[in-house]
Amino acid sequence: MSTAPATTSGGSDAGRPPPSVPRTAVPPTATPPTVTPAGSTPPAEQLVPASVSTPARGDSGWDPAERRARASQSFWTAVVGVPAIFSVLRLGIEAGGELQTTLLLVANVGPVNLLAGFLTTAARLLSTVLVAVFALGGVLVASGHRLARRPLFARWTEITPGWFVAASFLMALVTWPMLYLPLLLPAFAAAFQLRPERLHERPAVRALIVVAAYAGYLWLLVPTLRDAWRQAEALPIVLLVVPPLLALFVAGPLPRMVIRPLAPVTQLAVLVVLVWAALPVISTPVLPLTVTTVGEPGATAAGATEEIRGHVVTTDDVNMVILQERGGVRYVPVDQVRGQVLCPSEEELPRYRLRIHDFHVEDSLLEGLGRRVRPVHRVDAACR
Amino acid sequence: MGVSLSNSRWRSVATTTAVALTLLLGAAAGCDSQREPELPSVQEKLRESHIWGQPVLRIGVADDEPLMGEVRNGVHVGFDVEIARYIAASLGYEGEHRVEFVNVSTEDRIPALQGGVVDLVVSSFSITEDRKKQVSFAGPYFVTTQEVLVPNRHRAAIRTIEDLRNPEYKICTSGGSTTEAELEKHQVSTLVVKDVWDCVKGIRAGKYDAVSSDETILAGFVARHPTEFEIVDMPFGTSELLGVGVPIGDPALRDLVAYFLDKSYQQGRNGEASPWQTAYNRTLGPWLRAEKRQPQPLDVPKLVDFDDKAPQR
Repeated sequence: MSTAPATTSGGSDAGRPPPSVPRTAVPPTATPPTVTPAGSTPPAEQLVPASVSTPARGDSGWDPAERRARASQSFWTAVVGVPAIFSVLRLGIEAGGELQTTLLLVANVGPVNLLAGFLTTAARLLSTVLVAVFALGGVLVASGHRLARRPLFARWTEITPGWFVAASFLMALVTWPMLYLPLLLPAFAAAFQLRPERLHERPAVRALIVVAAYAGYLWLLVPTLRDAWRQAEALPIVLLVVPPLLALFVAGPLPRMVIRPLAPVTQLAVLVVLVWAALPVISTPVLPLTVTTVGEPGATAAGATEEIRGHVVTTDDVNMVILQERGGVRYVPVDQVRGQVLCPSEEELPRYRLRIHDFHVEDSLLEGLGRRVRPVHRVDAACR
Repeated sequence: MGVSLSNSRWRSVATTTAVALTLLLGAAAGCDSQREPELPSVQEKLRESHIWGQPVLRIGVADDEPLMGEVRNGVHVGFDVEIARYIAASLGYEGEHRVEFVNVSTEDRIPALQGGVVDLVVSSFSITEDRKKQVSFAGPYFVTTQEVLVPNRHRAAIRTIEDLRNPEYKICTSGGSTTEAELEKHQVSTLVVKDVWDCVKGIRAGKYDAVSSDETILAGFVARHPTEFEIVDMPFGTSELLGVGVPIGDPALRDLVAYFLDKSYQQGRNGEASPWQTAYNRTLGPWLRAEKRQPQPLDVPKLVDFDDKAPQR
């Protein structure tokens, strides 16, 4: 991310104070005076954020085009490389840490499938991290002029193009559970520093718009809130009701005494959360969970069949290779396979019994829409 | 100037509070998303129950009650059997090789459950307070009434409970049934045999004159011999709630059976084709005088399952 194209995001900084001091204040602390003279003329101002994004190479003296090209190259390397490395790590975990099993998986799981599988399971984490970075970055940018050194997230937010930030929010919108979607509002307001003043010039009209929008929002949620109240679930009520109100106040500079500890603490927190949340993603299976019924041809008694719970790695003319859920690989002769069903895993069990207009609160918009298309999902008996 | 300063200070405090609260809520949401579900799941209950790990589920059914539970060409058929199959499939036992139907007579139902001969009993098992002390019940899955089956030769003579008290008529019923107790309450002397089937055979042989039992069971014999018998509606005044019998020491299994019966009930209420309705239409439906619906099961636990997120409408 730090090596992303050195473009300042247009329009995203409309509400914040003019950053005249900080942009020139950073490079001297990061790099010795060999850096391109900064601060006085507009062209030099254009260069500074790039040197901020790559402080180690700030003295290289490349021209902007070359730097942008290299940054773009690094960016795309990261976009392709990080999922690839993650996917290989996942294969290792999926194989139960066994070298030979890992090699078996590597030999049979195609790179495209692996990448697609990774994106399917990691999209939520990825969008969460991006939204957190840009929202915090927005807050830090707005207050950054009160600090001697601009925080990392503020620099990232500044050099990231607006479309990328918007795309991150869009990805979060479709992949986050609906229960957490209201949090996107204050995050969005913080990232783009949107204040209610933008709505209308006259305060009375502004208040009217805000009240009407909030009332409509609550009206939409009344059945869900009522159910949550009956079930004594406090957190869902807070998560649904409070965030839109926070969005009204979240934009704007923070006092110096707040911003100084906030920057390092939140940056560290995002990093810790990234690692903490990445662990479940890494250990999410790559292959779908199935139950395969195996038995000698012609056998009818219950004792003559066996149900193998696991992930099918590959099937050829002779064998079906199954990676068992409890570990180990089984080679089952194809003519002994009596049946096979797809099973859900216990991680998919819901935590709440709440719905927003028949969409389960723990479903994302994508999942919810998917369930409208294929509503009936019967858990096969063999999965129990 | 003073107003603008206080305004800006107020704004600063509001922003700080909003940012802090947003971070707090974000953290709360993060922790919440990693939390284990609080509600017990179907899988957990299954692990707690005594059937966990069993390759075959043994279900006690009747083999001589037409429409409810009988053996035809070596295959168990009937309403009870269909309900039993639905419960077995929901518990993870699907297919003939995973379910073993054990024939239990009316009086053997409780001992079979107590002795561990069967895991469940689905055999016109009425829920009563006395029985609840010995076995657990999930349900009811059917509400029926007590009626009397008379052969055509007595169809004009036996019409009321008073007629049953006439010592000329020999009234037959099955032992260990709720009917036996009910007839006793109405001072009707009865001849008690093992199964209702024995009563019907006895009537056809001229040994007995009438048989009293649940309407569902009697409807089966009318279905078997439509030209020989008639059901007489008598005001016994009690309704029989048929439930699934479960060993008293296995509350988890009782909860699971109640949960799956309720699932079928909810499907029926939403206008979908429920397993109960399918079973009813295929067996009892055409033979009962009044249309029946699935009764709401009692004491249904709140469990979470994989398909909870599916749309309900």
